Amino acid sequence: MSSVNDTTTGRAYWRSLDDLADTPEFREFVHNEFPSSATELVTDADRRQFLKIMGASLALAGMGLTGCRRWPEEYIAPYAQRPVDRIPGVPEYYATSYERGGVAYSLLATSHEGRPTKVDGNPDHPIAQGASDAYAQASVLDLYDPDRSRLVLRNGEVSNADTFAAWCADQAPRFRQASGAGLAVLSEASSSPTIMAIRARLSQSCQQMTWAEYEAINNDDEMTASRRAFAGNAYRPRVNLHDADVIVSFGDDVLDNHPDSMEMVRGFAKNRRAMDPDHPNDTSHAKKMNRLYVFESGLSLTGANADERHALRGAQLAAAITWLAAKLAPNDAMSSSAIATAESVLADDVKATLGHAFEDLQAAQGRSVVLVGRGVPVPMMALAHMMNERLGNVGSTIVYRPLPPALATDHVGSLRDLVSRMNTGQVDTLVLLGGNPSYTAPIDIGFNEALKNVRRVVHVSDYVDETYLAREANAPSDRDDWHVNRAHYLECWGDGLSADGTYTLQQPLIQPLFNGKSTLEVLAMLAGDEMTAGQDLVRRTYTEMAGESDDKAWRSVLHDGFVSDLTPQTDIPSVQSGAVREALTTFVSSVQGNPDSFDDNGWEVIFALDGKMYDGRYANNGWMQEVPQTISKLTWDNAALMSVASAKELDVDNSDLITVTIGDRSVELPVLIIPGMAAKTIELPLGYGRTFPGRICTGSGRNTYVVRSATGMWRASANVSRSQGTYALATTQDHHAIDVEGAGGKGAQRRIGMLVREGSLDEYKRDPKFAKHRAHVVHRLSLWDDNHGIKDAKHAWAMAIDLSACIGCSACVVACQAENNIAIVGKDQVMRGREMHWLRIDRYYRFGKDENGDWDANKLEVVALQPVSCMHCENAPCEQVCPVAATVHDEEGLNVMVYNRCIGTRYCSNNCPYKVRRFNYFDYHRRDAHREQPGTLLQVDPTYYTDKQADPGVLKSMQFNPEVTVRMRGVMEKCTYCVQRIQKAKIDAKNAWTKESEDAKRTTDRIPIPDGTIKTACGQACSADAIVFGDLNDPDSRVAKLHKHDRAYEMLEELNVNARTKYLARLRNPVDGKSIDEGHGHGHGEHDDHGDHDHGDDHGEGHGHA
Amino acid sequence: MGRYHYVFPRWTNFILPTVLIIGAVAPIYVVYLVAYGFSTETTDVGYMPTQPVPFSHALHAGELGMDCRYCHNTVEKAAHAAIPPTQTCMNCHTQIHAESVKLAPVRESYETGNSVLWRRIHDLPDYAYFNHAAHVNRGVSCVSCHGRVDRMEVVYQHERLSMSWCLECHRNPTDHVRDPDEVTNLGWTFEGTKDEKRQYHEYWIELHQINPSQDCSTCHR
Repeated sequence: MSSVNDTTTGRAYWRSLDDLADTPEFREFVHNEFPSSATELVTDADRRQFLKIMGASLALAGMGLTGCRRWPEEYIAPYAQRPVDRIPGVPEYYATSYERGGVAYSLLATSHEGRPTKVDGNPDHPIAQGASDAYAQASVLDLYDPDRSRLVLRNGEVSNADTFAAWCADQAPRFRQASGAGLAVLSEASSSPTIMAIRARLSQSCQQMTWAEYEAINNDDEMTASRRAFAGNAYRPRVNLHDADVIVSFGDDVLDNHPDSMEMVRGFAKNRRAMDPDHPNDTSHAKKMNRLYVFESGLSLTGANADERHALRGAQLAAAITWLAAKLAPNDAMSSSAIATAESVLADDVKATLGHAFEDLQAAQGRSVVLVGRGVPVPMMALAHMMNERLGNVGSTIVYRPLPPALATDHVGSLRDLVSRMNTGQVDTLVLLGGNPSYTAPIDIGFNEALKNVRRVVHVSDYVDETYLAREANAPSDRDDWHVNRAHYLECWGDGLSADGTYTLQQPLIQPLFNGKSTLEVLAMLAGDEMTAGQDLVRRTYTEMAGESDDKAWRSVLHDGFVSDLTPQTDIPSVQSGAVREALTTFVSSVQGNPDSFDDNGWEVIFALDGKMYDGRYANNGWMQEVPQTISKLTWDNAALMSVASAKELDVDNSDLITVTIGDRSVELPVLIIPGMAAKTIELPLGYGRTFPGRICTGSGRNTYVVRSATGMWRASANVSRSQGTYALATTQDHHAIDVEGAGGKGAQRRIGMLVREGSLDEYKRDPKFAKHRAHVVHRLSLWDDNHGIKDAKHAWAMAIDLSACIGCSACVVACQAENNIAIVGKDQVMRGREMHWLRIDRYYRFGKDENGDWDANKLEVVALQPVSCMHCENAPCEQVCPVAATVHDEEGLNVMVYNRCIGTRYCSNNCPYKVRRFNYFDYHRRDAHREQPGTLLQVDPTYYTDKQADPGVLKSMQFNPEVTVRMRGVMEKCTYCVQRIQKAKIDAKNAWTKESEDAKRTTDRIPIPDGTIKTACGQACSADAIVFGDLNDPDSRVAKLHKHDRAYEMLEELNVNARTKYLARLRNPVDGKSIDEGHGHGHGEHDDHGDHDHGDDHGEGHGHA
Repeated sequence: MGRYHYVFPRWTNFILPTVLIIGAVAPIYVVYLVAYGFSTETTDVGYMPTQPVPFSHALHAGELGMDCRYCHNTVEKAAHAAIPPTQTCMNCHTQIHAESVKLAPVRESYETGNSVLWRRIHDLPDYAYFNHAAHVNRGVSCVSCHGRVDRMEVVYQHERLSMSWCLECHRNPTDHVRDPDEVTNLGWTFEGTKDEKRQYHEYWIELHQINPSQDCSTCHR
């Protein structure tokens, strides 16, 4: 599949490698939106049983006609005492926050009648600004996870929280008496000032206590690099991408896997539009755009959004960093030899790009930034600080936040110390505060084995997880263990520091569902603190920090969710020249000592986050399991990602199993081919293969922690061999492909260049309307009458999606799922193309040509990303074919889906050119997507028709948004433009308007809804602000302006469906300004001369009259 | 075989009578089905369940003249005209009939904090989203949908609450729109000539720009 000779089409975009090779599987997906639908869960043997049940229920239903009422009696349960200002049916919003990896994220949680149903970014918080990421969106589902630990356990027997509290009260003085000897705490990373305060108090009375902190996704290397560069001080760099015109990233996935990703995306996207916000359509202002260089080993989202990208192995990455650093530090004695050494090992094209990067950086002093990510040697990371200093970026695009020692723990080091203390019998009581070290700890540290040397373990966790199970397997006979079920962050008080150090509060929205305790409550109990209630503890911290204690100030802080006055100052430290010299010397001597390391002989493994599981904590979250990974489009599993050439070398294809061996440990997992990865490099996503018996996570993926050692946390060399057998992967990459009728698989490929339109900045300056010139609109004649009803409406709802801003983070997909009660379907159903996401992110590859002029899958040039949901066509093809008028237009332009009319013919879906309609093949909400046995596919429970109907899963349904109908089996559904939010805004506006005076009412014939009042769930979550929703009838609205923008285009405009969603073409800023749409002008059959002749504004009419 | 090969088998004799019987029964069945669909049994008009407390709207809203919004105080702000909390009952009933047996469930709720479980009478399907505030603020009276609740000893469903019934008003709202100050005045009627009445309604229709939507998305989400 390395190359395909295809001269019939001019487009270089491909949906997948199957698309490029035009395999039968891809043709099947193009031909049939829902393939293999004939194979159903009811097998022949079951069919008879099924008919029996159906017959019986029909008979019962017939007899039921004589009943007194058609539907069941419902009850209304009013409050006994309604809280002040509480209005039943009107949601309330509370500021809160949650912590992930030691960074607090400020949130605004929605509560319906006391049930938290959705979380979004806190709009007032300087970092969140109302946006959120997929992790935050999905975190609300964890609250209602039926697999959460519900009990306090003592030595595996059921106990209760009071007994535990009594035990703590008994133990706390003993800890103090022994000065903490034998006491050890292993915590997950936390920035909570309350925890820090309790810890400080505890370590005063218990000086010999051990406090360790471990996160699998830690920044140990960054901290070490910072200490080297800044004379032993730990700093957290805070990067402002908004002011950076040139960004050079060496393996730093800042746009996706970084604690500051949301800010990074926001800053990055602002500079991608080449647009002056005040003059959105004036191209004379469109001169400026940032340029992103990425050198990386895998294919990250940051790489996918790069203007110039090279895939490099670890050693080459180090050489590239050294080259650039040496060029920027020409006075260092080692510079010239470092440059010469690096040039001797780098490929010519990489050197050329590095040269461009160097020139660009020089020209953008103070307006650029160099980023170095994990997985390169620590001295190289320190060089990034030097480069930014030399470029004058410190203080403008990068500032440094000093970290107190408690926030700059060496995670692996502290865990290793703890384990050695455990092994030498110095630990009698081990308190595990969150985290899951048995699953995530470096495998060579031997945490699990060390557990048997500890007599007492207090395990505070959300789940009876791997760590609990490991303790059960490694418990001494005289053990005295506790497991305390931890409260979810929406159930308890807490606090934390956001990335910039802003003090952020976490307030509960609901009483703990299972009477869980928070980390800080347990800690306070163990410390014998005089207070143990979460609110008292947090308020005490706040009072100490702010010096205020009155109720009014406290309530106001809770309302805001954060205290901006308490944001720490940033610092401008200077880089030690010794660190630079050391890095350059290390590099030169390493190359001289081992010149072979630059050959592509050995296999290299990189460990990465895939943006779904984090470190594994989201593994039992169905939304995160099912959201397709943006690049690989993989759901429910992880895989060994490798390039086409690597796969060829191993002679494997997708789904073939391979064994990856690092040291003496190995893992077997399936292959998934991702173009554009470095040579002989395998990416292993972390967080899968959980072994605790969660009903979602069981059997999902393979545990890659088993080959991750303390010395190779991010990159390691490995032996790779092919194993026997295959493993089915559920990727959505070929689902919902849009084709040209009759052209088979190639038809899909032929259309892509018209679907996702891209241009270089130079091209945009030359031809501002380039996007409109990409497609042929042959005529504007319609088979149907124009949709007259919508012409005189007061509003015309529409959406604009700026592809230049979208980086493909998938926050919108999960936000849509949370808002609109969208079901997960399970791996088995995803493989059949039945995922229910209303919004999908299409990912296209664009390849270069090899020397013979054939498309070459080894030459990935561009990754194009495009969110696609219902376009709300004015001439909607789906509406024409519905036999029961279940999908119709409303006068404000929404293509509405009437669930109660739908009889499930699926004609609409067949006729939808965008493939955005989703069909409920089963009552996905009423059954649990679970595996019958580990190892089998996640599929429909056979008892679904009989038993499961009776148990609709009360806990899970508490998350439902009551403003949106929960759809049942046999019903089509799709994006509604969040119609519930539109209706709410309209009704609120009208109600307020009716209170005005008669004169005021007579001044307008249109009840105004100010632009920006309505945000769709996807647009609200988007940190890039790529999705804009509004009213086209309001000429000043953002969406109306964007629809008139030069870059605006309509997907499949040639079908004359008049879509209400328009895209703004993606701009790229490559070095040589080469046109992105290189092949344009070929392969259009009779329209070969398209690129040359002059087009009028209305491209279509020109042809229509011709 | 022989000649019997060309003769219909014996069981075919039953086809004709079966077809005739079905032909005779089917029209009756269809008529019954349609009639049943429109019957009050289906639409639930007159549905009058026994409530846990024999609360009399006729006494409170009628005789005592309490405004609907004293209890249903969210009706102008929210989709739901919420059933009042027990606290609202006890505002008066700590003084009046404080020992009444009929009020025992209310006192129990007040003491325990548990809800009084009222049976829902006006029960729309879950996929229909009616909004009280949108109607009441623009002058659609309670009486249009709920009837003369101020005369009901026990509340019952007065109207069909079917989709066609909703649409009747959405298509021709004129007679149902009045001065918003009079929405809770259930006994209100316009005093004047037919022409004046028409002008009165048209005035409010025009002032409040009432042009009810018949789009699916208005009520179904």
